[in-house]
Amino acid sequence: MMNFVQRRRFLWKVFLVGLGLIAVVANATTFARVSFRELAQQSTAVGRFRCLSTESKWYNGEIWTETRFEVMETSKGSLPELVSVRTMGGAAAGLRSRVEGVPEFRPGEQVYLFLYGTAGGTYQVMGWQQGTFRIRRDAGIERVTQDSAATLIFDPQTRQFRGRGVRNIPIAIFQMKLKKALERETN
Amino acid sequence: MNRRQICAAAFAIFYGLYGATPASAYSFNEIVPDVRQPASISGGSSCPVRSHHLTTPGSISVRWSTALNASPSTIITQEQTAPGRLNEIEQVITQSLAVWTGVTGTTLTSFGVLSRTTVAAACGSDGINSICLDQPDGAFTPGVLAFTRVITADRIGAQVGNGPPASEVGQILDADIYFNPSDWRTTFATPAALAASPTSYDLSSLLSHELGHFLGFSHSAVWSAMMYPFAPPAGAFSGLRPTLQQPDAPLGEDDRTGLRVLYPSAADVAHTGAIFGKVTPANPISLPLSPPGVTGVFGAHVVAVDANTGAVVAGTLGGWSCSNAGPAQFDGSYKIERLSTGHSYTVYAEPLNGTVVPAQVYNALGTLCRNATTDAGWPPLQACVVPEAATSFTTRIRPAP
Repeated sequence: MMNFVQRRRFLWKVFLVGLGLIAVVANATTFARVSFRELAQQSTAVGRFRCLSTESKWYNGEIWTETRFEVMETSKGSLPELVSVRTMGGAAAGLRSRVEGVPEFRPGEQVYLFLYGTAGGTYQVMGWQQGTFRIRRDAGIERVTQDSAATLIFDPQTRQFRGRGVRNIPIAIFQMKLKKALERETN
Repeated sequence: MNRRQICAAAFAIFYGLYGATPASAYSFNEIVPDVRQPASISGGSSCPVRSHHLTTPGSISVRWSTALNASPSTIITQEQTAPGRLNEIEQVITQSLAVWTGVTGTTLTSFGVLSRTTVAAACGSDGINSICLDQPDGAFTPGVLAFTRVITADRIGAQVGNGPPASEVGQILDADIYFNPSDWRTTFATPAALAASPTSYDLSSLLSHELGHFLGFSHSAVWSAMMYPFAPPAGAFSGLRPTLQQPDAPLGEDDRTGLRVLYPSAADVAHTGAIFGKVTPANPISLPLSPPGVTGVFGAHVVAVDANTGAVVAGTLGGWSCSNAGPAQFDGSYKIERLSTGHSYTVYAEPLNGTVVPAQVYNALGTLCRNATTDAGWPPLQACVVPEAATSFTTRIRPAP
């Protein structure tokens, strides 16, 4: 029988072994971690969007999907009422092209997106899953979850693997976090 | 608290025993045939089909681009001469292909000739499977280092570039693997160079994982699986290094079982066992109201564990079944196939709410349905809408009747 101290030591060992196992991993369709602050800084535009429609087409030798969004709120950049976001993959003429880690959107769903590209042109989602924050209503409260929230991602600067991310937080807190990240940029 | 949370506890009917090891299972890239086309080219059923290559000898040819980024150099090799570098990289590619063909009991026994091309932009929708180590692509944004793009036919006769037309629905017509050459902070090292370059990723591990996507896999939540969605950190590698005696050593048992399911061999008499059942809610009020017709828990990971060794053998993403003309029915069904006979297994179900979440297996869960919203003119009787994966439940076991 273990006494209290031995049991506590044992549990600590189990905990540390668990941490060690977690540190063994990073994501593959391989992503490099982009922090929330970096997302805010490096993106061309940030906003809240409602997905209107998706359309796949051939462009530059590949099938891409263009998703049309209604802009509901602009947090960064200058966005028109409607924007198009281009992601790799989609369906065209009997073919389905897919890439793991590329976000897909359904008409009607609402998201916060960190967009990358030329203002006024077609945008991409910065860091794919990392720049996609889905809004869900749960018990009357809107909550926000980043697609990559559960993903441990390699951070090239610290050369470590981190599982940070926005997971199921109330939208008001997310908006404060976003405002803070954007304020840091302007300062 | 919403209705789903109130009734979070779910009952599972298993034709096996109960276990509680936290892990889960392989999954596949699924595709719904285009039933707007005549049955002669669509098959007539809207049941999802697994993406797969044809496995007649030599049918999966692969080429790789010998164009390498020099400034910065993102591929680290032990050899420093130009031909030596190329040979070393080619050896890694050959070994990574052999990792998958080394699994017994499948029809994937060989790839075609591995050829070289000097074209830097060799990856593209041209009907030729390619690996590119130095091809900037419009899909790369900051934060994306490597990916695999797979093009699958949803009807017979579909064609990519000058490649041959599809003879089966679900046939993969072009699969390309891209490594980002323009992120100077991240490098990839061959196994021979990894020890001296501990800040680099292991090229062999990443390539073996991407080749899993190339073959039709989505992700697995089994930690020991090659298809777990996270690569090892810099300086480390997945599983064991391959040997001549065991070329598939880097794979986990979950990967091997998945490959046997994806490329089953009629000659394999050692892995003919199957476990199937349903994951159903204790109280139907916990089922989603929308879309209508959902009668079971969708998106549960159902896992088989060897009762003697405790090793995770295989599992599946449960929650649906499909028969005849389709569409998919969301009745909580699961089936784990190609298990070794003569063994006892324990089985359990768990929600996808840990390090792997539904967004990471979208190609296995989110692609099971097509309808008039996704595809104009889709026949209503073969249409469905994929429900949201249930990520909040606990399980109890009910013995088989």
